Amino acid sequence: MMKPGWTRSFFMPLLLVFTLMLAACSNDGNTNVTNAPAETEEEAGTTPAEGEESATPAENEKPVADDGLYSIDDFSNVKKNEGEPIKGGSITFGLVSDTPFEGTLNWNFYSGDPDAQVLSWFDEGLLTWDKSYVYTNDGAATYEVSEDGRTFTFTIKDNVNWQDGKPVTAEDWLFAHEVIGNPKYDGPRYDSNFINIVGMKEYHEGKAKTISGIEVLGEKKLKITYVQSTPSLLTGGIWTYPLAKHIFGNMPVEKISSSPEVREKPIGFGPYKVESIVPGESVVYVKNPDYWRGEPSLDKVVLKVINPTTVIQQLESGGVDLVDSFPVNQYPDNADMSNVEYLGTIDRAYTYIGFKLGTWDAKAGKVVPNAKAKMADVNLRKAMWQAVDNDQVGKQFYHGLRWNATTLIPPSHPEYHDSANPGVKFDPEAAKKLLDDAGYKLNGEYRTKPDGSELVINFISMTGDDIAEPLAQYYVQSWKAIGLNVQLEMVEFNTFYDRVGANGEDDPKVDVYQGAWGVGIDVDPAGLYGPEAIYNFPRYQSPEQDKLLAAGISKEAFDVKVRQGIYKEWQQLMVDEIPVFPTLYRAVLVPVNKRILNYAIGDGTGIYLYQLAVSQDKPVVADK
Amino acid sequence: MWKTTARRMTIMVPQIVLLSILVFLLAKAMPGDALTGLLDPSIDPAALDEQRERLGLNNPWYVQYWDWAVKALHGDFGQSFRFKMPVSDLIGQRMTNTVWLSLLTLALTYLIAIPLGIISGRYHDTWADRAITGYTYLGFAAPLFIFALILLWVFGFHLGWFPTEGSVAPGTASGSLAYVMSKIYHILLPALSMALITTVTTVQYLRSEIIDTKQKDFIITARAKGASESRVYNRHILRNSLLPIAAFFGYEITGLIGGTVFIESIFSYPGMGQLFLSSISLRDFSVVTALVLLYGAASILGALLSDTILSFVDPRIRIK
Repeated sequence: MMKPGWTRSFFMPLLLVFTLMLAACSNDGNTNVTNAPAETEEEAGTTPAEGEESATPAENEKPVADDGLYSIDDFSNVKKNEGEPIKGGSITFGLVSDTPFEGTLNWNFYSGDPDAQVLSWFDEGLLTWDKSYVYTNDGAATYEVSEDGRTFTFTIKDNVNWQDGKPVTAEDWLFAHEVIGNPKYDGPRYDSNFINIVGMKEYHEGKAKTISGIEVLGEKKLKITYVQSTPSLLTGGIWTYPLAKHIFGNMPVEKISSSPEVREKPIGFGPYKVESIVPGESVVYVKNPDYWRGEPSLDKVVLKVINPTTVIQQLESGGVDLVDSFPVNQYPDNADMSNVEYLGTIDRAYTYIGFKLGTWDAKAGKVVPNAKAKMADVNLRKAMWQAVDNDQVGKQFYHGLRWNATTLIPPSHPEYHDSANPGVKFDPEAAKKLLDDAGYKLNGEYRTKPDGSELVINFISMTGDDIAEPLAQYYVQSWKAIGLNVQLEMVEFNTFYDRVGANGEDDPKVDVYQGAWGVGIDVDPAGLYGPEAIYNFPRYQSPEQDKLLAAGISKEAFDVKVRQGIYKEWQQLMVDEIPVFPTLYRAVLVPVNKRILNYAIGDGTGIYLYQLAVSQDKPVVADK
Repeated sequence: MWKTTARRMTIMVPQIVLLSILVFLLAKAMPGDALTGLLDPSIDPAALDEQRERLGLNNPWYVQYWDWAVKALHGDFGQSFRFKMPVSDLIGQRMTNTVWLSLLTLALTYLIAIPLGIISGRYHDTWADRAITGYTYLGFAAPLFIFALILLWVFGFHLGWFPTEGSVAPGTASGSLAYVMSKIYHILLPALSMALITTVTTVQYLRSEIIDTKQKDFIITARAKGASESRVYNRHILRNSLLPIAAFFGYEITGLIGGTVFIESIFSYPGMGQLFLSSISLRDFSVVTALVLLYGAASILGALLSDTILSFVDPRIRIK
């Protein structure tokens, strides 16, 4: 969240993966940075262009909360500039984490969000994006698409150079593809986007010496041909991070990630250069005067890892000017911190309750719906949605910083989120009636199945922060209120995903679960709900959905209007069929010291890191 | 005496082998593996399987154990999945930090314990003794992680006397005097907070030893011979009372390793303890097994050290 939005958006899928991990580490009792009760995994997908308005800039100075409630609408995602920038200056950036950063400092190899935070100060992608997450021609390279939408020709700008003075070339870009496609590559990047390049599969399997779909046309010109043209290509489907061939060209692929050129003396072509690194704890950057966009304003940036338990004190004392993330549950107590301005935006994520409707066929690699599953009756699922009051959950548990979710495309994608779709509203009386009509008769305290046998629903949820268990208990009680006997089990993160089926071995004892997804910048939900997605934990499939998912990435869908229509239908289908129902959307808040100028979080803000400046020499300190 | 030591060393070998098997089995019994956290729909599960195959995660445990053990014997503990670097390098990096922290803590522990124990024992039932005993009770009662947090808040944030995270100031060149000073400055507060708590056992122990020894017959003899009071205390009582404490030195080291796990997380100090915790939750097995083995070996060595010191100072313990 520190940088101009586009970098971040590109990596969101991976960042979220790490979020997960963070959540996992925090289970040991520390404050969870991401503090989701059910922590998030992520979905990557990626897709289309979307215009995000992000949070609307607030007119009033500070979000007022007389009732102890806050709303994301009151936050701006762009820092208000107060005062004039001074020349030079140095700032401290806090990387909030209870573990050191891993130190795999290369975009082609890193896997955790902390490393991404370190990286984005000194290196960047060749393409940038706009608010809708669509590639633009404002970045270090420009692109042209062929008629059939499969061939992209890229031109890297002439003044884009590595920090050792060598030019960034098309060869470097090709080299990155070759390394990631190499079977000995040990990072997490070889994914569906790479397999979509013509000849990549053969290269990966060792059947070809070169990748036939990638062609170097000149020192700065590269052509890539993709197998399938989809709207997703334009929103994160292209690998835009070159790898310096003059440095890594002669190194065995499996040795690159542990080499000193990655870990101790990394270079990039970003606005700042790495001056020194203390492994895992801090990095000092100085400005890169030859940065292609122009000379950065700041002389120096210090990045240090700070513990989530001490982030408030660090901010108050001016120990850090900026942080990469902030535990939102600490906001209500610190909303009036006098030396910072809080920026806010809507997180690309949602929490949800899922129902197990089938199993996973590992051999065929697809879901097998089971019409006899305990939760197979859509009326039962709908009643369970009607029984829970997520509006109150957001207010009571999260001070309004999480709020009732309606559809499976969160409002972080405003172009596709169907705000007119109300989802299913809280209405316990209707829920009872629905169950009565569907044959779930009350027998004493609880209802039975339509055939008269006992109905016990097993519900699992993840342990995490302090809210995790009370929240899950609230759901159990709400369901009890409509006569459903739901048994809760709280499990640790790894166990949770094991049992839900992350490895394809679903635990048959699980009927209902509470999870969360971070969604990619592309809205295509096939990675989470498609028939061949292992992460389709509900194991849901229907012909209507298959049709919509295919239409969403078809050629026709290049037309945004068409695509919007398709995903609107899909959101409604999910509200009708309820394989899962969304419970909460969430806000991201980031405090920024008042002396910081030209800073924003979120995507496509057009504010870049090299513009970052300060209005005074020392950080503003909080009044006590 | 050398025989005793040699014997103990021989027993150590099967102990460590057993420990390594146990550790390995426990690690494998944990749900999930290093790739579980990568729930990324754009990555084909087949690619993950390929990775699992490459990392050998699909083999039966005894095959995995054997592969691991053979390599470990050659000093190769494998590659950390998360850090993408050899486990031995990674631990080496962190161990330096932990060793310095432990050493300083140990020094502070004894610096605090010995004077306090002597005062308390020699002048027992005075106000000084009561104050010291009061402090030790507080120390027993206060959990280390709460106490450390309070010190961090008061001296780190409120008064701003000490740095609040990390092991060295960003940007100090390695090897310079400023670097060394910065390192010491960074470990001072964590070491002090740990020493103040862990020292209380030693203080109490020393106190009761001294009180005990004071009444022994040979002390009365010494007094009867006309030895001065300071000679009685320094030569006769103190020497005898310190022996058991010296013998606990080895165990003290073991205890310190456990304590640093908390301290390192609280002070964001990148040492082995912090690495251990995060590796468990991220299922970075190669790091976990190597670290547990290291901890295990340290405990066994600590016990050995203690026994050796004991047999050195107390001939009755030696095995003929």
